Amino acid sequence: MVLKRPLFWIFVYAALIFMFFFNLIPFFWMTSSSLKTDYEVIDYPPTILPQTVTFGAYTRMWTQEQFFQYFLNSVTVSSTTAFFSSFVGVFAAYGFSRFFFRGRTTLMTIFLASQMIPGVLLVGPYFKMLSYVALYNTLAGLILSQTTITLPFSIWMLKGYVDTVPLAIDQAAMVDGASRLRICLTIILPNILPGMVATIIFAFLLSWGDLLWALCLISDQAKQTMTLGITQLVGQFRVQWSEIMAATVIVTLVPATLYLLLQRYLIKGFTEGAVKR
Amino acid sequence: MRIRENHKGYLFILPAFLLLVSILGFPAVAAVLQSFNLIWVKSPSFSLASYQRLLGDAEFLGTLKNTVIFVGLTVSFHLLIGLGVALLLNLEIRNKRFFRVIAILPWTVPDVIGGLIWKFMFDTLPGMINAMLLEFAVISRPVDWLGNPKLAFGCLIFAETWRGYPFAMLILLAGLQAIPKEQYEAAEIDGASKFKSFFYITLPNLKFMIIIATVLDTIWESRLFGMIYSMTGGGPGYSSQVLSLLTYKHYFLFFNTSYAGAIAVVLAGFMFIISIPYLVITMRRD
Repeated sequence: MVLKRPLFWIFVYAALIFMFFFNLIPFFWMTSSSLKTDYEVIDYPPTILPQTVTFGAYTRMWTQEQFFQYFLNSVTVSSTTAFFSSFVGVFAAYGFSRFFFRGRTTLMTIFLASQMIPGVLLVGPYFKMLSYVALYNTLAGLILSQTTITLPFSIWMLKGYVDTVPLAIDQAAMVDGASRLRICLTIILPNILPGMVATIIFAFLLSWGDLLWALCLISDQAKQTMTLGITQLVGQFRVQWSEIMAATVIVTLVPATLYLLLQRYLIKGFTEGAVKR
Repeated sequence: MRIRENHKGYLFILPAFLLLVSILGFPAVAAVLQSFNLIWVKSPSFSLASYQRLLGDAEFLGTLKNTVIFVGLTVSFHLLIGLGVALLLNLEIRNKRFFRVIAILPWTVPDVIGGLIWKFMFDTLPGMINAMLLEFAVISRPVDWLGNPKLAFGCLIFAETWRGYPFAMLILLAGLQAIPKEQYEAAEIDGASKFKSFFYITLPNLKFMIIIATVLDTIWESRLFGMIYSMTGGGPGYSSQVLSLLTYKHYFLFFNTSYAGAIAVVLAGFMFIISIPYLVITMRRD
């Protein structure tokens, strides 16, 4: 086939190679800079590869800055948000998938539309609400606020998976006298386990990449998440680009790995609700 | 009394519903009320003052214009590049999986982190962009990309084009893979050119996927915050500022809560209108 239309295939591979460089140059630059010394990273003209490879920037971020703390905070907030919203979400997904009650369509539209509400609309009132209940500047408050992003999404993604489980399985269990709650937990959940894992991970990543909520709802340095911690370091004269880039490598490594492992499920989850054929 | 079987559905939805009402519905309503000066002020009374002020605020109008340009351009670029790459990846190429992984990578970067990486790429002296352009003699001396009000906004759009196009690509690729091969074979037998089959088979089949990618991407780009905050901070001046950033500034830096509410309501209204086709399509297909 390649021999049939050589010009066409030369163009195809040239375009793919261009895409390769366009996509990867920022990753290359980030990694290369993170391995440079303090002096080399601000050298003009810049060096493409580090002249002396050093992990100094990485160790300084973990030891001198409170980076380990930020990392722990991010992991705590993102994983709690992810498990919480997927746990609540799986019941709602089951409810929407299996019951045809009055107002179902309206409720589903409301849940779907709630994804469209921009965070900046909510973040001001949130500041007031969390202050009333003494949750401002706490990780619990941050978890609650991030659930606003992850819960509607989780419900839709999970509903797509519950829909794929044949109704006959439910009916067989009902004949045996199992309650609906039991069916949801012991029959549906194991059947959609890959989808559940994908949903949890996607919610984790949504929360992991957040800046807005942490910026507005956390004031204590010790409670900052990674994304917030890094942005606050930029522009401080004692912090070099090599250190910022070392931190960005770590923050990027987590989602990049998870996305690549789960790409198939994520595409499915995204398109399921909307584009079933 | 036995609960009617279908009414049990309410019980399953109840926890999520209560949670959404309290953590999403309540603050959303509060923000709207706040923008009309009805809560959280000394003497609450209905007032359109914040909205009237919007009309005369040059910074708001400039930011609104930026937002429309930013969303319009990034979404168009995402769709065009996304479609191009999806078509490439749908061909019988070697190392398909490898190229698909490469194609997804930018999208895995959190937007605030993408902003930081590009801020450093565009840095005047130690940045890579200037070094490359000087090397290939495109420019003769370093350009202050992010310090120049005419250039910073373009750099921001470029960076978000890089980060966001893989999402459109993924959706469109899924759409391309779902097109039955027989349609192309039939067209070939009828003597249609590749060009014609693209316009008469590929595009019509992709219609729904294109609408969905457009709407979802428009919503994400309209609410984008982290990348702009970390890359340009909206500056210089407000040359690269968008509505989400302006709302944040009024809430948390200038403490004009009612005014910030009004800006956020405008943004939310804009997004709601755009999301209507998505809501209609999704609900119809359920």
